This record gives sequence, structure tokens and C-alpha cells, in this order.
Amino acid sequence: MSPVTFRSVRDLPPMSRSTDTMLWNRTGSWRFLRPRYQDKVAPCAEGCPAAEDIARIQILLGQGDFEAAWLRIREENPLPGVCGRVCYHPCETACNRGEYDDPVTVNSLERFLADHAWKLGLSPPPPEPAAGGGRVAVVGAGPAGLTAAYFLLRLGHEVDLFDAREEPGGLLRYGIPEYRLPLDALAWEVGLILNEGVRFHGNRRLGSDLTWDELSGYDAVFLAVGTWKPAPLGAEGEEHAQDGLTLLEAIRQGETPEVSGKVAVIGGGNTAMDVARSLLRLGAEPAVYYRRRLQDMPALPEEIQEAREEGIPFQTLLAPKRIEPLPQGGFRLVLTTMEILDEDEGGRPRAVPSGHPDVEVEVDAVVTAIGAGPSQGAPAEVTGEGLVAEGLHLKRIAPEGEWAARPPVLVGGDLVNDRKAVVTAIASGKEAALVIDTRLRGRDATSIWPSIRVGRKGGVSMNRYLSGDRAAQQDHVVRYDELNTIYFRFQERRERPRITLEERRTGFDEVKMRISASLALKESERCFHCGQCDQCDNCYLFCPDVSVLRDLRAGTREINYDYCKGCGVCVVECPRNAMILEEEPR
Amino acid sequence: MVEIRFHGRGGQGAVVASNILAAACFIEGKYVQAFPAFGVERRGAPVEAYIRIDDRKIHLRTNVYTPDHVVVLDPTLIEVVDVTRGLKPGATLLLNTDKLPNAYPRFTSFRVATVDASRIALRHRLGSRTHPIVNTAILGAFARVTGLVSVDAVCEAIQEEVPSHHEANIAAAREAYETVVLPEAPAEAAP
Amino acid sequence: MRRVLEGSHAVSHAVELARVKVISAYPITPQTHIVERLAELVADGVLDARFIRVESEHSAMAAVIGAASAGARSFTASSSHGLALMHEMLHWAAGARLPVVMAEVNRAMGPGWNIWADQTDSLSQRDTGWIQLYCEDVQEVLDTILIAYKLAERVSLPAMVVLDAFFLSHTYEPVEVPEQDEVDAFLPAWEPTEILDPADPHAFNQLASPEYYMEFRYKIQQAMEDALRAHDEIDAEFGRRFGRSYGAVHRIPCREGERAPLALVTTGSVTGTARVAQAALRQKGIGVDVVKLKLFRPFPHEEIRRVLGPYDRVIVLDRNISFGSGGIFASEIRAALALRGEQPAVYPFVAGLGGRDITPQTIESVVARALGDEPPSDILWEGLKL
Repeated sequence: MSPVTFRSVRDLPPMSRSTDTMLWNRTGSWRFLRPRYQDKVAPCAEGCPAAEDIARIQILLGQGDFEAAWLRIREENPLPGVCGRVCYHPCETACNRGEYDDPVTVNSLERFLADHAWKLGLSPPPPEPAAGGGRVAVVGAGPAGLTAAYFLLRLGHEVDLFDAREEPGGLLRYGIPEYRLPLDALAWEVGLILNEGVRFHGNRRLGSDLTWDELSGYDAVFLAVGTWKPAPLGAEGEEHAQDGLTLLEAIRQGETPEVSGKVAVIGGGNTAMDVARSLLRLGAEPAVYYRRRLQDMPALPEEIQEAREEGIPFQTLLAPKRIEPLPQGGFRLVLTTMEILDEDEGGRPRAVPSGHPDVEVEVDAVVTAIGAGPSQGAPAEVTGEGLVAEGLHLKRIAPEGEWAARPPVLVGGDLVNDRKAVVTAIASGKEAALVIDTRLRGRDATSIWPSIRVGRKGGVSMNRYLSGDRAAQQDHVVRYDELNTIYFRFQERRERPRITLEERRTGFDEVKMRISASLALKESERCFHCGQCDQCDNCYLFCPDVSVLRDLRAGTREINYDYCKGCGVCVVECPRNAMILEEEPR
Repeated sequence: MVEIRFHGRGGQGAVVASNILAAACFIEGKYVQAFPAFGVERRGAPVEAYIRIDDRKIHLRTNVYTPDHVVVLDPTLIEVVDVTRGLKPGATLLLNTDKLPNAYPRFTSFRVATVDASRIALRHRLGSRTHPIVNTAILGAFARVTGLVSVDAVCEAIQEEVPSHHEANIAAAREAYETVVLPEAPAEAAP
Repeated sequence: MRRVLEGSHAVSHAVELARVKVISAYPITPQTHIVERLAELVADGVLDARFIRVESEHSAMAAVIGAASAGARSFTASSSHGLALMHEMLHWAAGARLPVVMAEVNRAMGPGWNIWADQTDSLSQRDTGWIQLYCEDVQEVLDTILIAYKLAERVSLPAMVVLDAFFLSHTYEPVEVPEQDEVDAFLPAWEPTEILDPADPHAFNQLASPEYYMEFRYKIQQAMEDALRAHDEIDAEFGRRFGRSYGAVHRIPCREGERAPLALVTTGSVTGTARVAQAALRQKGIGVDVVKLKLFRPFPHEEIRRVLGPYDRVIVLDRNISFGSGGIFASEIRAALALRGEQPAVYPFVAGLGGRDITPQTIESVVARALGDEPPSDILWEGLKL
């Protein structure tokens, strides 16, 4: 460019303005730092054992594309309607918004998306056929088995799904009460999985109606039969107690158990809450007895809170010692008073007898809900040393002895998970599908595993497994202090509404109500979309070089490196850390 | 030119009353100019609003000092504010009160008319017991007492200027037109 | 259509008729009603414009500067301290040659805190390069917004339409609201020549070295001088289309076809009251011609000399003060008259500061003083409680 010299006022533009275009001035050459769009992992996604890409799901939800959001969940989890009701939602515990005001109600929004799809009768696109698959047997049609079947089928395998009971669903169908998980909601979601071509075989109990000979004809077996066997109470006269899970199953089967009057429910987990609350709804007077303190209960805090709201008394630091039948009917329950000493090896508070006098109560029935062992028919190896690790939520029966001649047997769900929950069972199912797929296709699972893991301690992602460029995937989990929260505003967390206490005490109607689309949109607005570009366009607005190029149709952003001077304001002003600033390669 | 002063309390609608009256006179072909007392308005505090009406274009842009008529929207103001300040002798003083004109012997040099606009407003569900919206009712009474504008024009202006409850406001204006208690001994008509 | 409109809303409707594309403003009494109504019009979809909310008047002016740079017809409104806060950006708008239009409601500067009519706020912005137009009544306010856009866009300078606090901003009176198609014919879409366009980037408002800076200032002065002529043309065109025109300097003779011995120069809404006082004085046998000054920037020097030169005595009524000097209009008028040797005696009265009422009696009083034995002075106070 040659300098322009103005000889007279007539030659001058009206204001101080270059006469020529400035396009020649490629200010990008001045840059020594380079901004780049880079999606990162939101802590919710890392927190979710099913590795749901929650931030992306919230972006789609916020755009009003409820179907796409629902399908995005189903890329990682075929049971959002179930999880949206019963999940312990570690995503909300991990939510960065919790450090700002309150976590986003991810769980409630997940249910909203599933219910929306259910209400509209949406169905996912059919799986694309894939050649070279094998035949896989999935034993146990609970959340782990259903998930494994769903993914295996989508990965191109033939799947036979066996269950000891008549209908699929496992604990979801026979263990969780109606007021938490209505049968019709479950049936819809299970139906979506089976309709894709999974062959379901009911009333086939392993060990009696299903033999290892038959299973040996498959290329691989996934075993997820759950833990239905009652655990011993360890109290004198425990034969007088009823098993809680059996009771819940009877209710789910439509029976009305003959339990009335005062009932002692022993335990502090979700099953104890389910039993006590179901009994209340049947007209009994349940009371919960737990050996540790209220804050030590493994049940979900909201389950405990809802049980207490419904008026169920909780007696803590009491461990059953003896159950004595009374001549006039009923029982005397003798309880040892406990105290908390310190933590045991697992970090749980240790309860020991306090030395104070025993407590005695007279009750009409005692029901136990203190955990359970592997279901009837499960091979002995699942409890002992016979397992080798395969994944975060997956083990395999060591191929030794008679197992050496059998196809690989992977074990998941409550049989192996430390945290026995629906979502960890789902994680088991997905990992099983991945491991089986890699094995049958002759791939090396161990090399793939790190690249499909979400974050550093999260679950594995089917989306990442299926998408080619896994090396580009980030494991950077966005921390709260990496956000630019000036662009967010305080907004109250909106809990989903519940039916009235009166309705809760007298019937099995679902406690948590459906939320409206407008409420869902409002709540979704609260999501920071940590590490995910949601096209807020702060970069575009702030860029002093007009070097953020928007493709509004594709919804993408690019940096024009011809002119970007690398000032970094886009990166600093990105509210959600979806950009990085790197040293310019020289 | 006729000058009128409205007395009210912030939030009662005195300014709106002057605007409706301006619109009503405009409908009847008059030149008008309506404005509030220039100041900081606060709810409940005494406020004033003014209107000038003339057959010719109004050039004068000053405060109103010697009104020809005064309208008092809030009965409690009568004891608080000098409502007859600058009022020309023989001028009309229209009061919203449940009393009769002869209850105000100190105003005998003026034509005192009274109307229970608060009761009328409440009957038509305009405002609340503590805050009746009396501005439309009082304008109906004003039309009757002064003859400066027809009640029909007032009603038409209400339709234009009031954002809601047109029927109730019009009904209130008409009722006040009918029930206003006229001055006992009509003094000489104000200009 | 003829309607009874509040002065503020007359501004809003004029902005609507002008098909303004971007509005940005910050509320301040007594200007607030203008932008409140505009915000409603935009929110209701009546006006197809962007309303940019900002945190200060400085930002409001910055926002409309940005909008106008990109070629959008833009509007803002302010008053008093709000206008003062815009000061830096006012220079920018003019230097960048952007035809932004602003409604400026004349309000006193504090302290003491005062929300009433006083011209010192707008006159303090005299040297920013903005066209300034002062209005007498609500009709003129509405019309002048439309005239201002045409004028501003013709000469590429920003324009301020000035109206008195309360006397105009809060007064309802009958206004003729022109039809949209008539306004469209008078004021077509703005066709800017210098647009900030990312596809064809230029460096705007960059460094102007001593070598060129003076020439850019000269260009602004030239544009201002062009604006004098342009104003008269546009005002005349407005008159042809709508039947109303105002003139940069408008003489209202006491008796048609005659020249009274005394001229009274007024600005803003006081002109109306002066018309009333003129009639009353005529009744008393005192002849006063009222001279209404509408256009203050560019200052119509020649017109002032032509109109006021022949008088023996000229009163200038200033509702403003430049401390240490006196009434600002008076000082400009005296300066204009001084170009020729022989000139009238100018009586520079300061009155009505901070909203003190200027009544017909006030005007009769200054006339009496100018016609009596008032000694010549650089500043004369009227109505001062000494």
C-alpha cells in the first residue's frame, strides 16, 4: 500500500476514514496466541455413570428441540423415563451451578423429555443394520440387561434376553413401587427396546429353566440377574420377619399383602423407604428402624424426606436383636441401642452397641429391607474370587475350570456394583455391550477404553465409541472457577410439583408430577452448558476484529485467522469455557 | 379562555381527569391545553392538574394562577389544601363529598356543587374502598355543573383515554351527571 | 389525524413515523415518557426497531453511534445531567458525521436539584457539532423531529430537537399527526454513503494527524453552514407538504406590515407566552415585535442581522446562563450584530431559570425596563428576589 496524500480538503473523506478497504491489513500475522473453539466435559456428564452428555441435552432442550434432546439421552441411556424418576442423580451433585445457587434439576428435565416423547408417541429411528455381529445371550431383564440388549442390537448383534419372571423390567418392574415408577411409563420405555428386535424370553430362571449348556451356544453371555436373595438379619427369631423385596414384588404383582397394624421396617436404604411408604399406602402404620443415624442412611435424601412428610416415624441407632411372637398375636421386637464410634474402612460411620438398655416395641409385623444377595440361580463365582475386572461397572467370570470352555460371561448390575442403583446397572449394560462388541469384532477394548471415557472418572460414552475421531475428544472437565459467571443470573431452582400429602398417604399415584414445557424451558435456562458452545455469541459480540464468523444455518462459529489478532477477549468472555487460547504454532 | 384546576392525591387520577376533559373539549371543537403541576409526583401526596379551554389556539404557557373552576377529587384535601387559592369570585367549586353544598359555609362566595363520586365509583367497582378511582365520575358531574362540555363528549373521551373498564367508567360519569347536587343559588355564570 | 397528545408522546409518534430502526436511551425526568412510549411501541410490534437497553446515557449515545455507523436511522432522548453524561460521545457522533437525532428536554442542571425547564443543559453542548432546534409548542416538536432527520441526513451531522421540560414535555394539546405515507414521501429511507460494513472494512475515525485534523474540522463547519440553507429548504418543503413551516428565525410583528421600535427575541415555549403578552401590550399601545429563534446551531448570523439589525432596541430573553458572561442567546446575538458597525441596543435579560414561571407580566416587565431608563448592561436579571 502506498500512503495516500490529500492535497486539498476536497479530497478528504467526510470523517477520518481510510479511503481504501483495509482487507489488505492481515492483522492475523500479529498473533502469538490463538483462540479456538473447544468443547469440554461438563461435570454433570462426568458425574453420570451412564455418561449422558447433559450440557448438550440441555442446549437442545433450551432450543425447544425436545425430540433431539431425548434422542441424545438415548445415545447413552435407553431408560430416561425410568432414570428421570428413580435416579439418584449424581449429575446434580456434580453440577457447577450448585456453587452458584442451586444445581439444575437435571433429573426432572430428563423425565420431562421422556414424558414428552411418550405423550407424543415418538419412537427413535430404527437401528442401522451392521454386518459381522454375533449372537449374545443377556440373562436378567432388569436395567442392566435391557441396556445391554439395547446397545448390542444397535451394534449389530442378535440378542436373546432371558428373565426369571414373566415380564421384563427386573427390579424396575417388580421392586420399585408404582408411586415412584408407574407401570405404564416403564412398559412404554421397555417396549421401545424390545420393539427394535430384542427377543425376550420370560419365565426362564437360570439354573432351572435356562442352562449353561444352552447359554454355551452363544458367542457371549451377559449376566445381570440382580440381588433378590434376602440377606440374613442376624437377629434371634428372624424367621418371623418378612422380606421387604418379596413384599414389594407382591404389591407390584397386584396382590394385597396381609400386612396391617403396626409394622417395623428394618433398614435405611431405598428399599426400606419403598416398603414403609407402600405399607402406609396400604393402610398399615409403618415405622422405620435403623442401626445408624438419619444422615447415615443410604436411601436418597428426597426419599427419606418424602417418607417423613408422609408421617412415617424414624427410629435410629437401634439394631434388631430378637423377634418374639406374642401369645395374643404380633411380636415383641427387641432392639439394641447403638452409638456411632468412628468411620469404618469404607468411610461409613461404625455403629456399635452403646451399652444402654435395650428398647422393646410391640408390633404386628416385622419387615426387613437390609440388602440382599445374588439372586437364585446365579453361579457361585459371582460372589467370590472368580471375577476379573472388565470395566468400571463390569466384571467377567474368570475363564477357569468349566468356564474356560464356555463363551465369555460378563457380569454386571447389582451383582457387581458397589453402588447398587438403576443408573449404575445401565452403565454395566453399556459397558458389557462395548466389551462384547470389541471382542466379537476383534478390537482391543483396553486401547479404546480411555478415549471413550467421559472426563477422568466418568462413565463410557457410546457416542464416542461410535464416532470416529475419538482422539479429539477432551477429558478436560470444566470446573466452576473456569466459568465466567458474570453472564449468569441467580435464578431459583424449580423443584417438580408433588401430589398432595393426602393423596400420597392413601394411594399409589405417582408422587412427582409431570412438569410443563414452559417450566422445563425455564429450568433449562439455568444450565450453564459448561464447556459446550451454545451459540450465545459473546465471542462474536466482543471480537474487536470482526473475526468471529457465524454460520447461522449450521449453528457453527469459526475464527477468521487472517484477521484475529489473538487478543483472547473471546476466550475470556466465553461464559462456559467452550474456547481455549493456545500458543500460536511457530 | 377558561382555566380549571383539579386537586387530587397522587394515584387518584387527577392528571388523567384533566386529560380526559381536554379530550372531551377537543371532541367538541375546542382548543385545549392540559398539564400537571410540574413537580415530583408521589402516591397519596396532594397533586394538582390544570386545563385551559378556548375557542382559539392557546399560546399561553404558564402555570394557572386564577382558575375559573376548581374540582376537588379527594374530600380530605378540603381541610389540607387551600382549594380556593386564586379562584375567581363566583367561580364553580366542585367537591367530591357525601355532604351537601350548604355544609361548606366558608365557600359561600363560590358556586359550590357536590357529588358523592367515591360512592359512585365504588358502586361501579372502580378502584377499592380505600382508593376509589373517582376521576371519571367527577367529570360527569363537571359537565352538568359547568355546561362547558357535554356528558356525551366526556363519555366519548373516556372511551378514548381510559385504558380499561370503559363501561363502568362511562356509567359512573353518567350517574354523577344525574346525581350531582347543584349550587343552591346559582351565582353568575363563570366565563 | 388531529389528536390530543402529550408533548413527550408527540416525540415518540414522530420517531415512529420516521421509521427509526434503533433506539437507545436511559430514563431521566422529564424525558422518560418519550422512551417509555417508544419501548411500548417496539414491544408491541408497532414500531419495527431495536430498543437497546443500556446502563447510562453515555452508553445510549455510544449505542446509537454504533447503529448509525452501520447505517441504521437512530434515535435517543435525554435531559439535563443525562445529556451532560453524553458529552464526550456527542463530539464523537458529530465528528463521525452521523445523523443521529435526539430529543432533548430542557431541564436545569443541579445542584440544587431541579427538574424544571432551563436551557443551560442543551446550550452547554453548543460546541459539540450538533444541530440544535428549539420548539415552541407540541405540534412544532412533532414536526421538528421529522425535519431534523431530513436535515441531519442531508448534511451528515447529528441534530438535537429541544423542548422545554413540562411546558412541552408534559402538556397535552391538539396535534395534527401526519399520515405515514405523507411522512414517507417527505422523509424517505436514509441512504448513508459511509457504512461500517465488515465485508468492506475501512478504518473509521482513525488517527487524524495535525496534517489533516484541521481540514476535518473545516468540513464540519462547512456542513453546518450548508445546514443553514438546507434547513430553510427542508422547512419550506415541510410547509408545502404539511401546511406548517417555522423558519430558522421567525418574526411575529405586533402589527402586520409594520416594524415596532422594540424586538423581543425568545426561544422555546416562552414564545407562546410572548405572543399573549404582545397582544396585551398592543392593547396598552405598546408595540413589540416578537422574534422567535428556532435554529441555534448552525447559528443564523445573517438572518439575525437581517431581522434584528433595523431595530433600535432588542430584548433577548434567556432562560439560561453562562456564568461569568450572561445569557447565551444574547451573547451570540450581540456577536452576530457586531459584524456591522451600527447596531441596536441589546437588553440581555435572564429570567425563568430552573422553571420559574415566565408569565405575560414577566414579559411586560422586561419590555417596560427596556423602553424605560434601564442603563445598558452585559446582563440584566428579571424577577430576581434581591
